[in-house]
Amino acid sequence: MDDKQLRCLVALQDVDHMIRERAKEKELGFDVEGVDELQKMREEIAKSIATPLLRTYERLRQRYEHAVVPVKNGICLGCFVTLPTSIGSKGKENITVYRCENCGRILYWLD
Amino acid sequence: MDVQEFLSYFREEFFIPELKATTKDEVLEEMVQHVASKYPLKDTRLIIDMLKRRERLGSTGIGHGIAIPHGRTLSTPSLLVAFGKSPRGIEYDSIDKKPVHMVFMIVAPPQEESNVYLPFLGKLVEVLQVKHVRDQLMQVTTFQEFIDTLAGGF
Ligand SMILES: [Zn+2]
Repeated sequence: MDDKQLRCLVALQDVDHMIRERAKEKELGFDVEGVDELQKMREEIAKSIATPLLRTYERLRQRYEHAVVPVKNGICLGCFVTLPTSIGSKGKENITVYRCENCGRILYWLD
Repeated sequence: MDVQEFLSYFREEFFIPELKATTKDEVLEEMVQHVASKYPLKDTRLIIDMLKRRERLGSTGIGHGIAIPHGRTLSTPSLLVAFGKSPRGIEYDSIDKKPVHMVFMIVAPPQEESNVYLPFLGKLVEVLQVKHVRDQLMQVTTFQEFIDTLAGGF
């Protein structure tokens, strides 16, 4: 597993969540600036992710609320299917980031 | 969210009576490391970076000596809430420019079955709007006093 790429991907997803929840935070009374700053951060992080992997992430994001999901006790927490003991399948991107065989989401091991 | 549920997210081991940090970056670091020493967090660096990024959008120092750094990250498997006090104060770039004496740190996973993160955050902000709760929180020294004070805001 390419740890650096995966860490960047997780950071990217964190920022995407910030963008999505900005309005809700504002409602709660938090001081949250415009999306510009966030978009800039997003671009910065995206630059360090290999293009095929980034494309996969963007594609998954169209389909699912979470493109990167945790694996817990051998279960993909995106679709709740038990992963094969050979720890999932590699993506077609030539990058060794693991994806769920059932739902295709990118996997992140929490334990 | 009722009082029981709200209070259930606070843990004694994440209660820090005296923070050492004097700056925003230091306190985020200190609190994440404290939590990581009691709880298996996947990647503390990712959490600290996420919290710092969030601060760049606008300070979570909401005034009255209170800060609520917060955000979602895959690095935590569940909603974690830590509380720390700083008797001498932290430079936090708060909206009222005053130093911060109380920090509530909230980290939530992106994937949540109960989706409790925003309701919890909302309730916390609401409780902290009560003046006597804020005043009393400045005085608490134990976790039990802390919990009793928050319960008083309901
Ligand atoms: Zn899956």
